Amino acid sequence: MTVIDAQGLVKRYRTGGQTLYALAGIDFALEAGEFVSIMGPSGSGKTTLLNILGLLDTPTEGTVLLEGQDVTGLGDSKRTALRKRTIGFVFQHFYLLPTLTAVENVEVPLLLDSDPQVKKRARTLLERLGLGERLDHKPDELSGGQKQRVAIARSLINSPKVVLADEPTGNLDSETGRQILDEFRRIADEDDVAIVAVTHDDLVNEYVDRTVHLVDGTIGRERKNGG
Amino acid sequence: MAGRFFPAALMARRNLTRTKMRSLLASLGIVIGVVAIASLGMFGVALQYSFTQNLGNVGNQLTVYPNSGENVTELTERDIRTIRREASPTATVSPVKTRAEPVSYNREDAVRKTIYGIENPGELYEAKEGRVSPFRSGALVGSSVAEAHDLHPGSQITINGTSVRIRAVLEEGDAFSSTNPDNRVIVPATSFSQSGYSEAYVIESTGTQANETAMGIRDSLNDREQRVFVRELGSLVDTIEEQFQIINTVLAGIASISLLVAGISILNVMLMSTVERREEIGVLRAVGYQKRDVLKVMLMEATLLGFLGGIAGVILSLGAGLAINHYAVGDAMAVFRLPNAWYVGAAFAFGVLTSIVSGLYPAWKAASEEPVDALRG
Repeated sequence: MTVIDAQGLVKRYRTGGQTLYALAGIDFALEAGEFVSIMGPSGSGKTTLLNILGLLDTPTEGTVLLEGQDVTGLGDSKRTALRKRTIGFVFQHFYLLPTLTAVENVEVPLLLDSDPQVKKRARTLLERLGLGERLDHKPDELSGGQKQRVAIARSLINSPKVVLADEPTGNLDSETGRQILDEFRRIADEDDVAIVAVTHDDLVNEYVDRTVHLVDGTIGRERKNGG
Repeated sequence: MAGRFFPAALMARRNLTRTKMRSLLASLGIVIGVVAIASLGMFGVALQYSFTQNLGNVGNQLTVYPNSGENVTELTERDIRTIRREASPTATVSPVKTRAEPVSYNREDAVRKTIYGIENPGELYEAKEGRVSPFRSGALVGSSVAEAHDLHPGSQITINGTSVRIRAVLEEGDAFSSTNPDNRVIVPATSFSQSGYSEAYVIESTGTQANETAMGIRDSLNDREQRVFVRELGSLVDTIEEQFQIINTVLAGIASISLLVAGISILNVMLMSTVERREEIGVLRAVGYQKRDVLKVMLMEATLLGFLGGIAGVILSLGAGLAINHYAVGDAMAVFRLPNAWYVGAAFAFGVLTSIVSGLYPAWKAASEEPVDALRG
């Protein structure tokens, strides 16, 4: 089942009379349970694509279908509500709230809903990611890998259809990076969640189903992995 | 557990503890503002209260005296009859004659002093020593005169060369009353040769009645020309109370400047905090927080700052109020009177309101940042 189907994405910026193309016509589809990496040099439009897929940004041209629904022209508040329901985010710098414990950080996306089930689910997620002993630790008491696990658990708290990761291994050593990528692989396989990871890290490609290379806002060669 | 019911409060509270010193200083401003408003307000109330206490029950008194500007030098018997007619049946009307006489006490040199001639002083005064009524001869002296010259009932003073026996020393009167006898020497009106009166006191049972009588007297006696003045202490008291109200308002206004400063410091703290937490707020927006959710969390922080400062301010103000009332009114417990509650409550409300208003701009700024921009940094 296709979770995200983006057609003819163009993102233009106008700066000082010049028009810059961050994306210059990109088609991108994502199946449930698929783990895809997006690679490319700086300025190739990776992050812009990720932002558009994650409904953080809107394309200048083209359409984005999320579970078959056209979400291209939606306003901020509708996009925000959709993000909350169907999308999870993992960031390079983890971006955990330093004042909240691991469990509370996982709860954050649904914290304002006052749903008593959320805490239980947050604990379960952290236990699944091997952090059962660190539930009530603050981020500054956790290692980089542990922080990223908390961030992954946070991205899963809303049972998303898609998890979007921006350089998820960028701040981790390769050993920890492998553990994190194992988690992503497992989540894609077991939970049928589609995962898109923007990365510079070749290590990621050992774990993904396919890799999309972006060059100057267009899709270059695409490589399918056997795995 | 509060976090369960009020999740925004949980995040807000944790955020404030992140920069404890800064939060503390920001709410210290609110504390000072609240204390300033509340204690200046309570100071005004205490001042007014102690003034009213000193003033005593003078609102029901009138004094009628001739208008020398119109060449009316005295009130005639007819005027007095008119005054009696205008006054209510239960009122006390005391016409008074005065003249200046050399008076000497205990064989000292004589000094000129105004001597009051009152027909029936028992209607106006009580005796502290001796007896006021019946009053056919001799003299009554006020407490200050008696104290200054060591006079008691039976002492002799000399008025215009004639020896007179003191019959009574009078109780102290209300400080602002025109009938106050403390500094007076009173003799029977019959000892005066002049027929006219220099003033007349009217004492009614209530202030309202006094006011009506005053208007009646003015209507009857000032028909063609302004023959008499009627002084109403009641309206004087009203005027003074209005003045106190104005003073109180001005004091509170000055105090609110400190709250304004506190508001600016909260604005500053919150702005710094939104800049520092730009990415965090971006993440919140990314994971599905609506603009109004971010607004809620940020405003909750400002509100908490205001509440903390406000509560500390109220506690300190009550302490200050106890001290103020102890020294100004002589009764520390007088702090628990309604007008004080009003000032303390208003100060608290203003404190919290100031924080919320100061939090509005930073909160709005944080909420309206595009998550894409916030996360890029």
